[in-house]
Amino acid sequence: MNRVHAQQGMGNQAGFSIEGPLAYCVGNWVASNLHDVELQLSSAGWPKDRLQLNLGGISALDTAGAWLIHRTLNALQASGLQVTVLEADEKTRQLLDLVKARSESAAELPRPYLPGFLESVGRKTGGQLQQFYEFLAFTGHLAFIATQSLMRPWRIRWPLVVKELQYAGVNALPIVGLLAFLIGIVIAYQGGVVLRDYGANIYVADIVGLSMVRELAPLITAIIVAGRTGSAYTAQIGTMMVTEEVDALRSIGIAPLDMLVLPKLIALVIALPLLTVFADVMGLFGGMLMAAGMLDLNSSTFIERLTEALSLDSYLSGIGKAPVFAVIIAAVGCFQGFRVYGSAESVGRQTTVSVVQSIFLVIIVDSLFSIAFSKLGI
Amino acid sequence: MLTEIESIAMHGHTRPGECILKASELVMDFGTKRVLDGIDMQLNRGEILAVVGGSGSGKSTLMRQLALLQAPTAGKIQLFGMDVTNMGELRTLPLRRQMGVMFQHGALFGDLTVLENVSLPLREHTDLTLGTIEEISMLKIVLAGLEPDAAALYPSQLSGGMRKRAAVARGIALDPEILFLDEPSSGLDPISANAMDELVLHLKKTLGLTILLVTHDMDSLWRVADRILLLAEAKVAAEGSLRELVASDNAHARGFFQGPRGRAAGASHDQ
Repeated sequence: MNRVHAQQGMGNQAGFSIEGPLAYCVGNWVASNLHDVELQLSSAGWPKDRLQLNLGGISALDTAGAWLIHRTLNALQASGLQVTVLEADEKTRQLLDLVKARSESAAELPRPYLPGFLESVGRKTGGQLQQFYEFLAFTGHLAFIATQSLMRPWRIRWPLVVKELQYAGVNALPIVGLLAFLIGIVIAYQGGVVLRDYGANIYVADIVGLSMVRELAPLITAIIVAGRTGSAYTAQIGTMMVTEEVDALRSIGIAPLDMLVLPKLIALVIALPLLTVFADVMGLFGGMLMAAGMLDLNSSTFIERLTEALSLDSYLSGIGKAPVFAVIIAAVGCFQGFRVYGSAESVGRQTTVSVVQSIFLVIIVDSLFSIAFSKLGI
Repeated sequence: MLTEIESIAMHGHTRPGECILKASELVMDFGTKRVLDGIDMQLNRGEILAVVGGSGSGKSTLMRQLALLQAPTAGKIQLFGMDVTNMGELRTLPLRRQMGVMFQHGALFGDLTVLENVSLPLREHTDLTLGTIEEISMLKIVLAGLEPDAAALYPSQLSGGMRKRAAVARGIALDPEILFLDEPSSGLDPISANAMDELVLHLKKTLGLTILLVTHDMDSLWRVADRILLLAEAKVAAEGSLRELVASDNAHARGFFQGPRGRAAGASHDQ
């Protein structure tokens, strides 16, 4: 009676009911509708000594359902209850047997090993030191190969250098130019607001000129190139690591540093200073437009003031930083590419690391330059 | 009232031997290249159908279309008697519970452990408690022939064979009606490949799965396939049991099954 009622009420659901020593499982015992019966089973009022579990009303059963039944039976039997299973059809019995046969090995849930706080700090520190050491070794090796090649420039792979120049230099012109132009506008505006109050409009050329040429143009260019080209270096070399192309190069007798890194390094050392010059020009142009628009400073006055404000020292101290930044970006980008290990996922991770590290190092080195210049009085 | 899709999603509803997946006049173009050209085929409940063919014969494309991962250029796909060809991603979601896919390289999620990979479909589609989900997932992992210890490992720590087994475990997490296997034994050593064949037969027997597998492993064909679909030149070149195909005088079938490898596999099977 009860059973028929439960079956009708449940429709497509899984149902469970218990009446004294009789328990009924009815409906579709498949994974997606087991939520309620799972709770019912765990809180059911089981009889004291014996139970008859009737599975005849089950219209569909999958391994999840079979597992629930098996788990419940097991727990009941362990607590000393005598359980008889009734009316289980062929398929139900097969599934219960299947689950039972595997249950022992399935019962042990292994957990991934999670290191404690001290251990993870230690491992992290060790890893960082190890990475730093490897980076030093890589840079040293690269410097050695670069010097060797420069002694015999005809052995350098110039076609590759030209290709990299095109990619890292020429193709970067629009974005570098646009951003430098906008920064020039911003600097002129921020400076202009203050200068106008003092009636010192003409000095906007000093502010834009010095800040762009000495500091912002090289820095902005290096940061764009680190994000654009450094990441591409890591991704390219990293992908080649995953597909074993780097090992293939080695097996053919070509040093990966010679083929993959040196052309990039040479190209970037040439391209970054040139990009910086371009950024200088665009930044000053942006500043000049803003000065004309906001402060009524015509362009010939602006340029005249610029020539007085900017010494050759200032110009060279800006451009001079670019090759150093180029070496940092190329070395970090390629180094992180070679650190890719295993799967494609690692390529993405190392690319992120590469961009963060090269921008970080570029800014650190830039501040070192500032300290050095101030001591030297440049 | 449940909609038709929902009710199918709950419990497949077909009787043994009945056709559960049917494709008619299936066409697939990649640019100007026609990869599939008018494929007619059907998959019957409880059988293991092997799709074979040379590299580039479109067998993986066919599997992807049948698994509703890629829409055909033209033609019709019927799943459990319902036209699903242009049903749209959202409406087919419930149907996917009835289909498990093992991708060729496993396609396990790299930042999840094996246990988490296998639990994912259960967490997503059921309201069971986490403990129960993990127990059921462990059951599937063991069923797929992995050691329980492997459950805590990440995919990058697994060998090729283990990765495929873990992928099978994830494929059967929700007890689907149909399991698609893309080259289950490729890239495996002979022992692991044999074990994979055993696993396929075992799953069919114990869980009553219907299996469509894409392969070109002759030994697997002899051991597991009930029926074979041979693709050549973007069309179905031959269809039938392996013995029928071996005996047939269809040019493609002869090239495929009567070459030295085909004969060797057949001979070792007959012993």
